[in-house]
Amino acid sequence: MSKMLEIENLKARIAGNEILTGLNLVVSTGEVHAIMGPNGSGKSTLAQVIAGHADYDVTEGSVKFDGNDLLELEPEERAREGIFLGFQYPVEIPGVNNAYLLKAAVNAKRKHVGMDEIDAFEFLKLAREKMALLDMDQSFLNRGVNEGFSGGEKKRNEILQMAMLEPKLAILDETDSGLDIDALKAVANGVNALRHADRAIVLVTHYQRLLDYIEPDFVHVLSKGQIVRSGDKSLALELEEKGYEWVREVANA
Amino acid sequence: MSTQQKELESLVNRRYEHGFVTDIEQESLPPGLDEDVIRAISARKNEPEFMLEWRLKAYRHWLTIKEPEWAHVHHHPINYQDISYFSAPKSDKDRPQSLDEVDPKLLETYDKLGIPLHERARLAGVAVDAVFDSVSVATTFKDKLSEAGVIFCPFSEAVVEHPALLQKYLGTVVPHRDNFFAALNSAVFSDGSFVYIPKGVRCPMELSTYFRINAANTGQFERTLIIADEGSHVSYLEGCTAPMRDENQLHAAVVELVALEDAEIKYSTVQNWYPGDEDGKGGIYNFVTKRGDCRGANSKISWTQVETGSAITWKYPSCILRGENSVGEFYSVAVTNNLQQADTGTKMIHIGRNSSSTIVSKGISAGHAQQSYRGLVRVMPQAEGARNHTQCDSLLIGKECGAHTFPYMEVRNSGAKVEHEATTSRISENQLFYCRQRGISEEDAVNMIVNGFCKEVFKELPMEFAVEAQALLNVSLEGAVG
Amino acid sequence: MTTQVIDKSLLDAAVKAMPDDRLAGLRREAADRFVSLGFPGTDHEDWKYTNLSDIEALSVAWLKGNPNLQPVSSVTDITDEVRSAIDAHWLLVRDGVADDMLPDIDGIEIERLVDADCSALSADDALSAFNVALLQDGLRIRVEPDAAPDRPLAILNIDSARQRVVQSRLVVELAAGARLELIECALSNGSGSQFTNSVVDVDLENAACLTHTRVQDRHPDHSGIYRLQASLARDANIRHSSFDFGGALSRNDVVTDIKGTGAAVGLNGLYLAGGEQHIDNHTSIIHGVGPATSDEEYRGILTGRAQCVFNGKVIVAEGADGTNSRQSNHNLLLSDRAEIDTKPELEIYADDVKCAHGATVGQLDHAALFYLQSRGLDRDQAKQILTRAFAAGMLSSLSVPACEDFVSARLDRRLAELVDDVDD
Repeated sequence: MSKMLEIENLKARIAGNEILTGLNLVVSTGEVHAIMGPNGSGKSTLAQVIAGHADYDVTEGSVKFDGNDLLELEPEERAREGIFLGFQYPVEIPGVNNAYLLKAAVNAKRKHVGMDEIDAFEFLKLAREKMALLDMDQSFLNRGVNEGFSGGEKKRNEILQMAMLEPKLAILDETDSGLDIDALKAVANGVNALRHADRAIVLVTHYQRLLDYIEPDFVHVLSKGQIVRSGDKSLALELEEKGYEWVREVANA
Repeated sequence: MSTQQKELESLVNRRYEHGFVTDIEQESLPPGLDEDVIRAISARKNEPEFMLEWRLKAYRHWLTIKEPEWAHVHHHPINYQDISYFSAPKSDKDRPQSLDEVDPKLLETYDKLGIPLHERARLAGVAVDAVFDSVSVATTFKDKLSEAGVIFCPFSEAVVEHPALLQKYLGTVVPHRDNFFAALNSAVFSDGSFVYIPKGVRCPMELSTYFRINAANTGQFERTLIIADEGSHVSYLEGCTAPMRDENQLHAAVVELVALEDAEIKYSTVQNWYPGDEDGKGGIYNFVTKRGDCRGANSKISWTQVETGSAITWKYPSCILRGENSVGEFYSVAVTNNLQQADTGTKMIHIGRNSSSTIVSKGISAGHAQQSYRGLVRVMPQAEGARNHTQCDSLLIGKECGAHTFPYMEVRNSGAKVEHEATTSRISENQLFYCRQRGISEEDAVNMIVNGFCKEVFKELPMEFAVEAQALLNVSLEGAVG
Repeated sequence: MTTQVIDKSLLDAAVKAMPDDRLAGLRREAADRFVSLGFPGTDHEDWKYTNLSDIEALSVAWLKGNPNLQPVSSVTDITDEVRSAIDAHWLLVRDGVADDMLPDIDGIEIERLVDADCSALSADDALSAFNVALLQDGLRIRVEPDAAPDRPLAILNIDSARQRVVQSRLVVELAAGARLELIECALSNGSGSQFTNSVVDVDLENAACLTHTRVQDRHPDHSGIYRLQASLARDANIRHSSFDFGGALSRNDVVTDIKGTGAAVGLNGLYLAGGEQHIDNHTSIIHGVGPATSDEEYRGILTGRAQCVFNGKVIVAEGADGTNSRQSNHNLLLSDRAEIDTKPELEIYADDVKCAHGATVGQLDHAALFYLQSRGLDRDQAKQILTRAFAAGMLSSLSVPACEDFVSARLDRRLAELVDDVDD
């Protein structure tokens, strides 16, 4: 097990407001981390900063990925290095075929690691395999990217992309929000299937519900832009029981 | 400005690839326009008397009218006396009978443009009537076409060889009184294409003409006339690209289409003339009148255009839906970047019962460009059961550009159904970030989104044109996102 | 009709004959301006489909005939009918001149223009200049900061419709945070031809909110041009709904100018036209800054030889990022001799915008008609039900609730007349 993601004293702001106020986190290969916290605590910001969204300014601290400075890289370079962000609100791109985007993404990554482009037949076979796992209809491939998808369909689509791209580090931002129980199970199945000794997964979530299906190795509680408590999965249960008010008390103490 | 945006904007500033000048000696008339010039043009083309009279009538009318001002474009006034109204390659008198006889320099030009004429002609089975400046210099596959009875020849040849057909149809769709530029074209048109598809004939190949503008200060005034007789079918491709030049060049073409009963004409254009440089210097003024007349019952005329070039475009390919059950279509992608201006759209005039029309217009504006869609759907009282659907979308890329929509709908029949929908939006940062997070570069993401936006139109283009159009779009727009 | 142009001497004489009151200076300036502009012709893009030559001829004849400027409308049962139908504070305006009784409402200041300190009245376009040039009087309404009257304020404009020309002017100012529900009814009490030229200036300061409903149900020989120009400061909100049922030629120009972020414009319109009626709605929403939103929907029902025009312009200025605009126009064309000319325009100079517009022209759904008939309704009834359903959408959210029953009753009455007029 080796250190994959190392975040040290990370401070970040958007439109002048400081959201992350000195965050520390280490994620090693094979681990599943859950980051929980009340609304506005900085969970999504952390996910967006790791992925490299231009709206966020990092003012202090460092983020290393496999020992290299991550903050220097463009978003697409981070993606090609193996960082995948499952979006809380997957973006609709009307007119762009879902399969087309998926294939372009897979090939961008393959090219980056010096592999040949995937051929159409192999691609389709792979995509069908992954879709079966997620209980997704084949017709998804021919629709516009997230265009007119329901909330649950969008989230499954995110997991499909993750499954196709086989990232080293997957950050899933509120992947459980807005899902009914069947969709939640399907998504959890997809994530669990990707658990691997060479891979790390960071789940960003507001509720402990998801963690019934994807069991984390570590749980962190975020408040006001910092991790205020870390523990094992029992922390999530404690949080569920005592509520986020408790976190605020802990943070202020 | 975000770093993304800067990069994107630098990509937009890619230079025009097709900018070079072919050095062929021109045989031109000195600049200026009067009746003598028109007589000279007509004489050089050995035109019969009726043609000269027609030109003079148009010229006299032109003198009485003023250049239109209503279009949403701005340019310096054009001095019509500074333009030379005739130029032809020197080898006019003994024109080449085959490609081997064509000036190699000309062929080289086509090669540079990525149009390997002979290869394309042979491999794709396309007959190419290449217009270099004003006079056609190469016509291929004549035999195959003449076997089918199809006439596809330079306009000037048709004037001499097929005067009866010409006299019957010329100016019946776009009369010389139609507008300022149509009048000018009627007076001084140099050459163009003439197509006649006889009754019941399906044209055995796609007809294609590559237009080029070459001589400095030479306005180009093509005139194209396509007649599809009863039950016939033809697909015509027009594509153009021009060398880089500093002077503004005026282009005022006229295209007339006539579809008789049960006939169908599909007219596709890829237009990539020199748009001017980043500062708006140079570039073609493209003031075109294109109109189709669905004269017979069940006839159909379909316009598909991809417009990426020209400094100023003023163009409204239109359909007069006279025949019962006649169908008009207009599919358009227009891209304007830097300081380009385009005022384009269509007119659908419903006269026949149950006539129907479809308009799909996709406008993309980047840099400092201004683009307008101007469309008219008119349903006359007798057009019972007429149908129109219009979809008109604009995509904005960058802070300084503009997109404008002026759709006119005039309906005088209570059995008609007319629908217009329009949207304007931009490529959002969120869409780009999403693609980039999936490992796709910004440039590719933009191309992907733009091509997705235009898909509805591209699928109307003949296959090889579609590929070319897509590539053209990517070149014209690379990276323009704000 | 031969062209009769209002010349300088004719207008000057009329202006000179008017009293030397506080408006006198403004009148003279505006008269000069009007003479230089003249009535717009159909070669003007904004007047392409609406010909003012009849109105101009009437104006010339009236000016030549030594115009009588005294209001002649008497207060009649119309006023009682309308007043009892709408629960509001009422103001009566006859032939452009307000009655002596101005209501006293907490938080609102109401005065006549001749009494007001009115240093300027907009007179930029020709019709506004004509309005000021011959303006006898008008009203100025100012709502104090954060004030919100208990009931709507309603203005009943009754014109005599006896071969005359009337100018009417209303200035509405809402101070910061003020709210007002305003109703305007335009009716005729007479049967001659008349031209009423109305201008309403609305100024909404920060977070002010105006809900405005206008109902026009004039005599068939009575023509009117109505211009509403509103300026919106930050977070201000205007909701305007207009109902045109009567009149000969009616032209409405609604111009809303968004000058502050967070402002919102809502425009609704319904026009019912039959016979030889001509109804022209021109709206212009200027998004000068963003973010701001606008939402617009106009619907029309046309029968007989009616001609209706809709021209909706949305202009998004450079830098007005975050603009969100929707616009639609739907028309039911129920006669082959009627004509609808619609033109929804977008002029966009900013890139972070979301704008959509749509327009449709169609007829009653034959399947729905048949369905209703199969349930035992006769054809006219079925038509009326479907037509009303189409119109009813415009009675909703934007209008002043207090006048809903009144508008609804007028709508039903007019629809019953129109459906008789429908071709099969």
